[in-house]
Amino acid sequence: MLISESRTYKLAKATLLAVLIAVTPVVAHLRGQTKPLPTAEKKEDPLAVLYKAAEKSLEEKKYKDALAQYEDLEKQATNVEDKLKAVVSFRKASCLYLMRDWSKAEAELTAFLTKYPRGTDDFFDNDNRRGVAELTLIEVLSSQAKWDAALARLEKIRSNNLARPEDRVNAFTLSAKIIADRVKNEPDDVKKAAYAQAIALLKQATAAGINTPERREAAYKLVELYTKLGLTKEAAQLKSEIDAKSNGSPAEVVRSNFQRLEIGDARFAAAEQAADESLRANFYREALSNYQGTLRRANLTRSFGKAIESKTAELETLTKSYPKPNAEQAANIEKAKAEVEQFKKIETEFAANKDYDAFISYRIGLCLLELKRPWESFVAFKDIFENSPNFSRIAGTYYYYILTLRQIGRSTDAQAKCKEFLDKFPKADETSAIGLLLGEISQDREEFPEAIKHFQWVRDNVKNLTAETAEEIDFRIAACMFSQVDWAPAQKAFAEFLKKYERSPVRQQVIYMNALCWFFQGKYKETKAAFDLYQTEYPKGQFLPDVRYRQAIVKFGTAPSDIPGTLQLCEQWLKDYEKDRTDEVINQTPEVFTLIGDANIRLTEEIDKKIKAADLELREHSKSADKAKYVEAKAKVEKEKEILTGKAIDAYEAAAKSARTNPQALEFVLGELRKMLPGRGEHKRMRDLFKEIYDWNHSDPKAMTYLYEVIRSTERMGDMPEFGQQAEKVQKNFSAKLADARKKVDELERRDKVTKEELDAAKAAVAKLSKELADELAKVEDSRQLSIKLAKSRALKILSDSVGETLNDRTQEGAEKLIVFLAEKISRKVKRLKPGVKPAAGAFTSDDAAAEMTKLLHIEDHRDSVVALARSYFAVGQIGIFTRESALTEVNFGKIAANFKAEELSPTILAMVGEHLLIKGDHKKAGEYFGYILEHGRASELADYAFAGMAEISAASKNYKEALSLCNEAIDNNILMSKELEIRFIRARCLAETEKYAEAKKEFEDIAKTKEWRGEKTAASLYWLGLMEERQAAGNKEKLAAAVAYYRRCYMTWKKYEAWAAKSYLSSAKIFSKSPFGEAKDKADAKLILKEMLEKDRIKDTREGQEAKALILSL
Amino acid sequence: MNFARLFTPVACLLAAAAAHGQTLVFKGGERWEINDPFKIDNSSIPPKPVFDKAKGVINAVKETVDRSSNQGGVEVVLTRKLSEVTAIFWPLPARLAEAQNNVNRGENQKALEGAEAVLRLFEPVKNIPGSWWANAAIVKLDVLDRLENDQAIGTFLEAFEKTEVAKQPDVAVRIQMARLMQRARKGEHEAVISESTALISTADGAEVQARLHLVKASSLFATKKYEAAMNAYLRVPVFFGSAVEYVPRALLGAARCFRGMDSPALKEQKLEAISNRYLYDIIVTFPTSKEAEEAKKLLPKEERARAEADQKKIAAGGPLPEGVIMAKPKLRPEEAVEGNK
Repeated sequence: MLISESRTYKLAKATLLAVLIAVTPVVAHLRGQTKPLPTAEKKEDPLAVLYKAAEKSLEEKKYKDALAQYEDLEKQATNVEDKLKAVVSFRKASCLYLMRDWSKAEAELTAFLTKYPRGTDDFFDNDNRRGVAELTLIEVLSSQAKWDAALARLEKIRSNNLARPEDRVNAFTLSAKIIADRVKNEPDDVKKAAYAQAIALLKQATAAGINTPERREAAYKLVELYTKLGLTKEAAQLKSEIDAKSNGSPAEVVRSNFQRLEIGDARFAAAEQAADESLRANFYREALSNYQGTLRRANLTRSFGKAIESKTAELETLTKSYPKPNAEQAANIEKAKAEVEQFKKIETEFAANKDYDAFISYRIGLCLLELKRPWESFVAFKDIFENSPNFSRIAGTYYYYILTLRQIGRSTDAQAKCKEFLDKFPKADETSAIGLLLGEISQDREEFPEAIKHFQWVRDNVKNLTAETAEEIDFRIAACMFSQVDWAPAQKAFAEFLKKYERSPVRQQVIYMNALCWFFQGKYKETKAAFDLYQTEYPKGQFLPDVRYRQAIVKFGTAPSDIPGTLQLCEQWLKDYEKDRTDEVINQTPEVFTLIGDANIRLTEEIDKKIKAADLELREHSKSADKAKYVEAKAKVEKEKEILTGKAIDAYEAAAKSARTNPQALEFVLGELRKMLPGRGEHKRMRDLFKEIYDWNHSDPKAMTYLYEVIRSTERMGDMPEFGQQAEKVQKNFSAKLADARKKVDELERRDKVTKEELDAAKAAVAKLSKELADELAKVEDSRQLSIKLAKSRALKILSDSVGETLNDRTQEGAEKLIVFLAEKISRKVKRLKPGVKPAAGAFTSDDAAAEMTKLLHIEDHRDSVVALARSYFAVGQIGIFTRESALTEVNFGKIAANFKAEELSPTILAMVGEHLLIKGDHKKAGEYFGYILEHGRASELADYAFAGMAEISAASKNYKEALSLCNEAIDNNILMSKELEIRFIRARCLAETEKYAEAKKEFEDIAKTKEWRGEKTAASLYWLGLMEERQAAGNKEKLAAAVAYYRRCYMTWKKYEAWAAKSYLSSAKIFSKSPFGEAKDKADAKLILKEMLEKDRIKDTREGQEAKALILSL
Repeated sequence: MNFARLFTPVACLLAAAAAHGQTLVFKGGERWEINDPFKIDNSSIPPKPVFDKAKGVINAVKETVDRSSNQGGVEVVLTRKLSEVTAIFWPLPARLAEAQNNVNRGENQKALEGAEAVLRLFEPVKNIPGSWWANAAIVKLDVLDRLENDQAIGTFLEAFEKTEVAKQPDVAVRIQMARLMQRARKGEHEAVISESTALISTADGAEVQARLHLVKASSLFATKKYEAAMNAYLRVPVFFGSAVEYVPRALLGAARCFRGMDSPALKEQKLEAISNRYLYDIIVTFPTSKEAEEAKKLLPKEERARAEADQKKIAAGGPLPEGVIMAKPKLRPEEAVEGNK
C-alpha cells in the first residue's frame, strides 16, 4: 500500500503545489473591493491588503500564517460575490494541502466543490480551478488511502463530457497511477493485473495521439508500466514516439516507425500461433493498431532525408567545433559518423524494398479479416490492387481479397477476381485454391452448370493442381450434376470417381450419392444393389437412416409394390431411431411418416376397387332377398377403407408435426392434409395442426399462410356437421307427418262429396305442419348461424392475438400485413351504402368496425408502446380504405401524422401514411416520413414509396435536380417495386423541366406505349409530349402541329382524365389562336376545340374551363 | 518520469525560452535581445509581461523595436525599424505551443486567441527567417477550418497567399487544403473530388491524409456515389487509424454510405445492419464524440439502447463485443508479457 511518504506522492504533491502556485497569479485583484473611492485614492481596501498579505505568506511558504490570514479574510468578507468567497476557500484548501492536513484539506476542498459550482469563475483567468481542486481532492483522498473514493471521483471526471479536455486526460493518468501504486506491496500476480488495468486506462488517455503535454505525460507513464511488465519493445517504441513528438526529431520519427512495425510483426506472428481465440483476436488488434500507426513510404522517405540532414549537420557542428578533438570528443564524432552511416544504410535498404506500403496494407487487411471486419479488409486489399499491383505477395492478396468479397456478399465480383487471377498467374501456388473457390461460389449460388464449367476449366487448365484439389474438383463436378438432377451423368461421374479414388475420404458419401442417382432415375433394381453395397460397406454409416428409408421406398416403388414390406421397414425404422435425436434422423422422420401415409393411401386405392365391385354386386342384388348381405359386404370394405384412410391421415399428421426442420416434407403433407381433412369435416383437427405449425415460428415467411388456414378452419368449425344432421332429423320427423297430411288433402280433393270445411281443415293441417317444420328448421339454422358467428369471433381473436404479439415491435414488418388482413375481415361485416344513405338502425357500421378493431388489437395491453398506438390508428385507417370511407382514413392517418415521429413508426406505416400526406399536400411531414425510409429502410419492400414521394416533393418545389437524382437512384438500384410508373413519370417531367427534351421524350413515349400502365399517366405523358414540342417550337409551325397532335391524342383518347384533357384542349386552342397560325380558319378551329371542351361537364368548371371561356370570347 | 510533468509543460517551455533568449539581428549584424511579451510576471497585480529594461520591446503597431540604453549616465531610448531585421532567433513562443495544444484538445476559441497574439507580434517580420508568423498562420487556418468559418477563412487566405511564406511547400499544401475544405462546404463536389484525389497522392502525415480522405468521401457522398464514398471513408480507420480524431467522422460517413448503398435487391447483404454496426461502434468506442450523438440519432431506438448499455459496460471494464476493434483493448497481464517474448 502506498504510504504518505512515497516518492511518487511526494512528487505529486510538489506538482500540485507547483500548480496551485505557478498557474495562479500570486496576487490578483479582489475586484469587488478594488473600486477606488473618489475621496480615498491612496487608501487601499483593507480586505485587499489582507488578501495580499495572505498571498505573500503563501508564496513564502508560511502556510500556517497564510491559512490564518485567509480565515480572517473569510470572516471579514461576508458580503462579497460568491467567486471571491470561492477564491478564499480555494486558497485555504491549498494551505491545508501544503500543510499535509489531509482531513481538513479534504473537508475544505469538498466544501469548495460543493458550494461553488462555478468555482473561482473568471477571477484568476479562464480556469475556474474546479479541475485542479478535483484533482487535489483526489490526491488528498489517496494520501489517506481512500482509494475507492479517489477512483470514483476520477471516473466521474473521465466520463464527464463537460470537463476540460486536459482534466479528462489527467484523470485517466491519475487513475492509472493510483491503480498501479496501491498494489506496490502486493504479490506479483496482483501487481500484473493492476498494471494491465492501468495500461488500459493510459491507452485511453493516449488514444487520440500524444500531441499535448498531458497526453505525453500519460504516454510517459505508459512507458514506465511497459517497462515494469517487461514489454521492452513497446516501451522503447513509445519512448521514441514521445521524443519525436516532443523535439520533432526526424531520426526519432524513423526509429519509432520501425519499432512500431517490428511490434506489429511480433504481434501478428503471436496471433497466428495463438490457440485461444480471444487471445488471438487481441494479438490481431494490437498488430493492427501498430501497423495503422506506421508511416507510408512517401512520408518515411522524407523523414529519412530530414534525419540524415540533421545527423549530418550535427556531425559538421562537432567537426567544426573540435578541430583537434580530445578522446571523448573524437568518440562523439565517431558516434555521429556511425549514426549518419547507419541512417544512410537503412535508407538504401528501404529504397530497395518496393513492397513497404503494400505489405502494411496486406497485414492490415489480414488483421481486419481475422477480426471479422470484412468491409475494412476489403478496403485494405483494394488499396494494394490500386496502388501496388506489383506487390510480391499479389497472389496471396488475390486469395484473401476474394475471401473478403465473399464475406461481404459480392460473389460476382469474387468470381471475376478469381478468373482474373487464374488468367494472370496460371502457375502461382494459389491457383488450386482460387480455382476451387471459383467453382465453389457458383455451387453455393446453385448455379450448377456454371460451377461445373468452372471446375472443368480449372481441371483442364491449371497445371499445378494438387492431388487433393484434383480429387475435390472431380467430386464437386459430380455433386453439381447431382444437384442439378442430371442423374445419369451424375451417376456415371460418381462411378468413375469410385474407380479412380478408391481410398477417397468421401467414398462413403459417393457410394450413397451414386445409389441415389439410380433411385431418382426410378431404376429400383440398381438402387437396391447400390444401397445394399452401402449397407455392407458402412453398416453404421452416417447416411444409414436415409438408406433404410430409401430401401423402403424401393419396395413401395417396384412393380408390383410390396406395401406390407414397405410398412414393415418404415415401422422398423421408426422403432430403431425412436431415441435418436441426430439432425439426420430428425429430418428423415417426417419422410418415413409420409411414406407410411402414402402406403396406406395406396392400400385404400386397392380397396376402392373392392368397394366398386361390392357396389355393383349390391346394385345387381338390390331387389333380391339377400340384399342385406351385399349391403353388409359393401359396408365392411368401406369401413376397411375408412380405417386405412384414418391411418394415412394419422401418418401425414405425424409427418407434419415432426417436419419442423424439413420444409419440403412439411409442404407435401400439408398439401395432402388440406385435400383430405376439410372434406371429412375435420376442421378442428385442421385448425389444431396449423396452429401448432404456425406457433413454431411466427416470423417464418410461410407463417401467414399457416395463420390463414387456422382462421379458415376456425371459421368452418362453426358450421358443424351436427347442424346438418339436426336439420335432416327434423325434416325426417316432419316428412312422414306432412306426407300423411298431404295425402289426406289429396284424398279429400278426389272425393266427390267433401265439404269445404273438411278440405280447409286438412289444408290447414298441412300448412300448420309446414310452418312447424319451417320453425324447427329455423331454430336449427339460428343455432348454426350463432355457431358460425362464434367461430368467426374465435378466428378473429386468433388473428388479433397474432397481431398483438408483434404490435409493439417496430421492426416486425409482418405486423402491418396481419393488421391489413384483420381489417379486411372486419370490414366485410360492414354493409356498403351509397353516399348520403344512412345505415339502418342496429346495422354494423364502420364505427363499429373501428371499435371492434381497437378491441381486438388489445391496445390496453400496450399502453406504453408508441408503435402499438400508431398501429391501432393505422388499422382503423385501413378499415376506412376497405369500407371506402375516406373520412375514417383521413382522421386516423392524420392522428399518426400529428402525433408520431418517423423513428417511432414502421416502414409500412411511414410509406402508406407518407403517401396519404403527400396527396393531402402536407409535404413537410410526408418528407420527414419518406426521408426516414431513405435513411433507414432502403431495403424495405416499400422503399420505392419513399423515392417516388421524395422525388415528387422535390419536383413540386421545383428542385428538379434533386428529384431527378432520386429517380435515377431508384432506377439504377432497381427500387421500383410498385412505384415504377410514378418514378419514371417524375423523372421524365424533371428532364423536361430541365430542358433535356430528347431524354424526356423517350421516357414519356415509353410510358405512353406501355400497355400495363395505360391510364392517367398515359394521358399525362401525351400532354407533356405536346408541351415539350410546344416549348421547343419557337414559332416553328411544324413543331407546333406536332404538339397539337399529341394534345389531340390526349383529349380524344383520355377524356376521363379531365385534368389532362382540359389542359390539352386549351393548349391546342391557344396554338391555333395565335401566330404562326392565327388566321381566320385557324381561329375557327380553335373555337371548335374550345366549344367541344366546354361541352364536357367535368371540364367546363375547371380552371382551364374558365380560361377557355375567356379565350373563346376573344376569338 | 515523474508526476510533476503532468502540470508543468508551460513552465518547461518558459524555461527553455529563457535559456535561449529572443534576439533580432538587424542589417549590419547588430543583435538586440528582446523581451518575450508572452512571458508573464505573476507577482504583479494584475499579472503583466516580464520586462527587462536592458532588452528591447517590439512595437507591432509602429513596427519598431525600442530599447533603453545608458549612454554616459543618460538614459536614452534607441529605436530601430522592424523592416531592418534580417534574422530572428526566437524559441517556440509559449503562446503558440499552447495554441497548438488547444487545437489538439478541441479548444478552438482559445487556440484562435493564442494564434492571433503570435500573428500580431510577428506580423511586421513575417517573411524574416526565424519568424513564427507562418506557424501561427497555419494554426489559425486550422482553427478557422474546424470552426467552418468560411468568411474568415476567405479573408485570411487572401492575405496569407500573398506572403512569401505561402510559397513554402508545407504551407502551400495547408493553404490548398483550406481552399479545398471551403469548396467542399460550398458544394463544389466534382472539383473537390478531383483535387483531393490529387492532394492525397502528395500530402504527408496521417492527420492530413485522414482529412483529405474525409473531404473527398463527403463530396462523393453528396453526389450519391455511395460505394466510392464508403471506400474513401473506410480508408481513414483502416490506414490512418492513428489519426483517432477523424475516425468517428469516418465511421459515421461509412455508416451513411451503407444506407445509401442499400436496396431491396441487396437485402441479403444486410447493409442496414452493417450500417447500424458502425453506428454502434461509434457509440461504444467514441462515447464522448459528437459523432456518437449523431450515431444515436441515426440508430433505430431499440439498437440505440443496446449500444448505450454496452458502452457503459465497456467503460466499467466489461469485455469488448465481437468485432469491435477500435476500442483500446484491455490487456491481461499474462498476455501482455507473453506477447513481447
